[in-house]
Amino acid sequence: MALSKRIIKETQRLAEDAVPGISAVPHDDNLRYFDVTIDGPSQSPYEGGVFKAELFLPDDYPMTPPKIRFLTRIYHPNIDRLGRICLDVLKSNWSPALQIRTILLSIQALLGAPNPDDPLANDVAQAWKQDEQAAIATAREWTEKHAKP
Amino acid sequence: MDSAHLEERPHKKRRFFAENSSPIAVTPIRHPSPPPLASPDPTPDGIATSPAPVPDDNKEDHGGVSLEGFDIGLLQVVVGELAPSVLQKLKDISGNDVQRAINLYLDGSWNTARPPAPATILPSRPPSVQTTLPGSLTRRESERSNASTPASSTSTPLAPVLKAMPTKRYLGSFGAVGWATKSGTGMIRHDENIGIERVKTQPRLGKGGRVRPVTKKNLDIVVRFTNDRGAEVGRLENDSADWISSLMDHKLCSFEASCVYAPERLRTGDTVYLQLRCYLLRTAFVTRKFTRSDPGEEKTIFESEESEEERDLQRRQVALVKLFEAINLHPTRMNESAEKHKRQGLLQAAEMAEKKEQKTKMKSGEAVDLASSPPSDAAEEGQELEQDQLDTLYKKAQSFDFDTPELEPADTFSMHLRKYQKQALYWMVGKEKHESLKHKEAVMHPLWEEYEWPVQDADNVSLPIIDDQTMFYINPYSGEMSLDFPRQEQNCLGGVLADEMGLGKTIEMLSLIHTHRTEPPKHEPSSTFKNLPRLLKNSATVEPAPYTTLVVAPMSLLAQWQSEAEKASKDGTLKVIVYYGADKAVNLQKLCCAANGANAPNVIITSYGTILSEFNQVAALEGNCGSHGGIFSLEYFRIILDEAHYIKNRKSKTAKACYDLSAKHRWVLTGTPIVNRLEDLFSLVRFLKVEPWSNFSFWKTFITVPFESKDWIRALDVVQTVLEPLVLRRTKDMKTPDGTALVPLPSRTIDVEKIVMSQDERDVYDHIYMRARRFFNANAEAGTLLKSYTTIFTQILRLRQSCCHPVLTRNAKIVADEEDAALASDLVNGIADDMDLSSLIERFTSGGEQDVNKFGVHVLKQIQDETDAECPICSEEPMADQAVTGCWHSACKECLLNYINHQRDRGVLPLCFNCREPINARDVFEVVRHDDDMGLNDNLRSDSLDHAPPSQSQPPRISLRRIGLLGSAKTQALLTHLKANRKADRTIKSVVFSQFTAFIDLIEPALTRDNIPFLRLDGTMSQKQRAAVLTEFSTSDKPYVFLLSLRAGGVGLNLVAAQKVFMMDPWWSFAVEAQAIDRVHRMGQEHEVKVVRFIIEGSIEEKMLRIQDRKKFIASSLGMMSDEEKRLQKIEDIKELLS
Repeated sequence: MALSKRIIKETQRLAEDAVPGISAVPHDDNLRYFDVTIDGPSQSPYEGGVFKAELFLPDDYPMTPPKIRFLTRIYHPNIDRLGRICLDVLKSNWSPALQIRTILLSIQALLGAPNPDDPLANDVAQAWKQDEQAAIATAREWTEKHAKP
Repeated sequence: MDSAHLEERPHKKRRFFAENSSPIAVTPIRHPSPPPLASPDPTPDGIATSPAPVPDDNKEDHGGVSLEGFDIGLLQVVVGELAPSVLQKLKDISGNDVQRAINLYLDGSWNTARPPAPATILPSRPPSVQTTLPGSLTRRESERSNASTPASSTSTPLAPVLKAMPTKRYLGSFGAVGWATKSGTGMIRHDENIGIERVKTQPRLGKGGRVRPVTKKNLDIVVRFTNDRGAEVGRLENDSADWISSLMDHKLCSFEASCVYAPERLRTGDTVYLQLRCYLLRTAFVTRKFTRSDPGEEKTIFESEESEEERDLQRRQVALVKLFEAINLHPTRMNESAEKHKRQGLLQAAEMAEKKEQKTKMKSGEAVDLASSPPSDAAEEGQELEQDQLDTLYKKAQSFDFDTPELEPADTFSMHLRKYQKQALYWMVGKEKHESLKHKEAVMHPLWEEYEWPVQDADNVSLPIIDDQTMFYINPYSGEMSLDFPRQEQNCLGGVLADEMGLGKTIEMLSLIHTHRTEPPKHEPSSTFKNLPRLLKNSATVEPAPYTTLVVAPMSLLAQWQSEAEKASKDGTLKVIVYYGADKAVNLQKLCCAANGANAPNVIITSYGTILSEFNQVAALEGNCGSHGGIFSLEYFRIILDEAHYIKNRKSKTAKACYDLSAKHRWVLTGTPIVNRLEDLFSLVRFLKVEPWSNFSFWKTFITVPFESKDWIRALDVVQTVLEPLVLRRTKDMKTPDGTALVPLPSRTIDVEKIVMSQDERDVYDHIYMRARRFFNANAEAGTLLKSYTTIFTQILRLRQSCCHPVLTRNAKIVADEEDAALASDLVNGIADDMDLSSLIERFTSGGEQDVNKFGVHVLKQIQDETDAECPICSEEPMADQAVTGCWHSACKECLLNYINHQRDRGVLPLCFNCREPINARDVFEVVRHDDDMGLNDNLRSDSLDHAPPSQSQPPRISLRRIGLLGSAKTQALLTHLKANRKADRTIKSVVFSQFTAFIDLIEPALTRDNIPFLRLDGTMSQKQRAAVLTEFSTSDKPYVFLLSLRAGGVGLNLVAAQKVFMMDPWWSFAVEAQAIDRVHRMGQEHEVKVVRFIIEGSIEEKMLRIQDRKKFIASSLGMMSDEEKRLQKIEDIKELLS
């Protein structure tokens, strides 16, 4: 399938006008498939970590949202073991006006503001609710362990 | 003779005699003064009772009267038996000139005349007279014995060439069989010279001089033979007697015979074998009076079956053909292609004539009236031509001689003619001035055959040779004979100009009008036009209009004729008026008559409708056309019928009205002289008054009958000979010998644009489609397809309309049909369906116009700022067709609608892509930018909200429009094209065709909203309105879009001002669309023409295209509901449409 003008433009802008702490580079053999890195936001348990993710643009993008998944293990109530992300703009609140860049920023923001009331990883959310400090420590630990370059 | 012999004869013979004896009581007119001397009674009575021989050799008889040097044989052959005293007197007063004697006798003047000096009253008529009347049909035998006939009719002197011919000339011999009516020994011996004679009752005149009808049953065909003593021996067998009698009666031949075998002792009924020698009589070649029936009579012949005379004529033809067969004489020259068909065809035609009558009657009972055909108020007859036959015919008629000289038009003609147009002018002027084309070699008339006189008789004895007469000619179709070479002459001072559409027939005709015209004389001749032919049956005089050309054209073309006529003439050189018939103030007769020469209009343009209505008025005045003062009160210098296939049906009133127009020169213009039947051509020929083809019986015998009996080659060959001298036809794709096109036209591209319906439209379409299928399937199962044919077709129509615009299916008229359909099917279900459909359509049309004024300036400002921005959805920059949501967020219109549909498909409430406010398609507004139409139509901007532009940056003014109002996918596609065209070229004009005027109604407001100036032409407009609209379109500088209905605009119009053509909906045959396209792509078009045909994807329209490809014509069958087979065929097509 031919690449739409929109994807080409987005890719160009991601390269030329990069957002600090975020990168997305398409594969050479599949321009709909991106290697993504997101820096952990400062003053969060993920600070200092660089989280890898994969992003795929489906055929009917931008009518449907991109598919995105963390590859780096992360301890977060809204991200499960497989790296799947619970975020409204990736699901029901998707709008074609959103872009790769804005989605990634949203994910970065999610890292800074975990929401255990709408969990995807139930055990993490449970822990987070019961003992937030301990959970944050675990998150930090995981970051050290998995997300350090 | 004893009566015993009579008793021996078969019973019916007696009856025969008895029958013939009675009318003899009426004094035969041919004996104005009864012969004083007792001559053999010429009546059958005499023969029945007294067998006294009728003298065979005239020279022996008539004792006492000196008749040397006077050819009594000829005289008596022509006028019948005469008393010796009568003969003597005739000889005296005629000065031994037999011809004169015949004439004197026949005109009755011999009784009173004194012997004059013969030379003075022998005006010789040029020989050509004989050949210019090759096919006159109505030669009348009866006239020769009619004392009341004016002298001129019978005193036609012999042409010089005839004088050189002996009274009779040997032609050939053949064997024949007879039987004896006498018995006796030595009645007749081998080798005895036998006389062959014919005693026939002369045509008997009843009261009022009318010829009593002679039917085949009681026709007297008895031919007797006598021995050399002059005593009757027997009669020829009926087979041969049948035609021999008719040859003798028509004074074509005389026969001598010798006995080949006869029994020594002859008994009544014995067979006698004879050898007959046939002599062609000089009288056979005598030019007799050919009467052209007066119009009134002609009409009755034309309308009813063949008349008595025609039957007589046919007997004569058949007799000749049989004779030539018997003596085995073959033509030395004849129309090659016709050779193998002619003879057999003639006999066949005679045979079929009777059967035909009934068939035609039956046929005309079936109404075959196509809805699409021009005014045909009566059934058409004749088989349709297959396409390949038509092609062949045209190909033959199209052999245009590129070396035809050119003729420069008169100075008063202001336009430039192309080469082929000058050639046409040359040809037309030649036709009108009756100059036979000199560079052409004399061609024998196609219907004639050339025969060589035999130089030896059957016994190889040389026959006398006559100088300059080695050949004679026979027209086997009319039975005419001639010693002169029958040249093919053009006998019509006009013709058929059948150039293909777009080659400029109108211009060619106008150049003719300018070039060949009569100038008003300085002082007019007074009473010379009183003795001119009369029109209709009444005595009203028809005045000549020697300076006037009458142009008859379809209503929609009147204005075009007028403007072209004015354009083509230098100022003041041509007076043109358009005559609508309605203004009773104008008395055409006074205006156009010769006396008013200086002020008479040169051209009167009128419509077929006017002709018809005046024809009816004149008919109401009982044919008193002179006093009517209208079109029929004049004999024009020239008549031109434009689009003459309007009169293709000879039975239609319009055609009949046109036949009755009088003029010196008659022309018809048509691109299709034959639409689908050979009879179409007949009507034109009839209008042109081309003899003899304008007689329908003649036409029928030689064209219709052979054609319908599958003898196509012969029929088409004959048609070709009719066409060849009459028709000038060139086609656009014709190439001159050096390979250049006749008319270089700019190229033309036709694209089919597939359009996807919006979901709402699709819902409506699917709904109708499912219903049509259900109905079709139900009927197919029940086997009632034929009965419900109309309903099915209505539903197909509905489907096609919903492709254009769903609202069309709500057309009031259609709803009525639909109600019928609903009644026919399940009533309850039907109503439920209808409700359903209504709600669907409501969904489509809901939401009125948003009051744009309520939007704040800031909103507009914001939208305007975004005008050049990127589309947030597709990143197009700037947005293609910017649209905004109800919450004022901009995106491409398409992206926005796609997204809304996308959400709806997934069953979620559509939200704004930006602010996630709920929206729906009704709440989307298109942003209309006015940068591309500035300076145009300021008055049209009623519903737009103008934004005062800041003084410097001049951002475009914009207004908002609810997208739903744009209507259907097709209208949107059209607008997209129009706007793109407008951007590319500000002056471009376009033409939009649709077959649904209701759809045009819906396109109009869309154009208005986009400030696209448009014009419209449809069938409801009056002539004046049409003219105004056409003029505006071709002369204005505005980039008009011309909306035309396919019906009203498909024919004749000239729309070369446009360069783009949009076909909104497909018609069943592409030919109809192509004709519409040719309105733009025709002579005068200087630009490339682009045609876009809009087709809805995945709809019935796609299937129609497929049917078009297969060249099927469902529509043409619409009027033929009676024809079961055709309907079955159409059902197949419908199956495909609904598959």
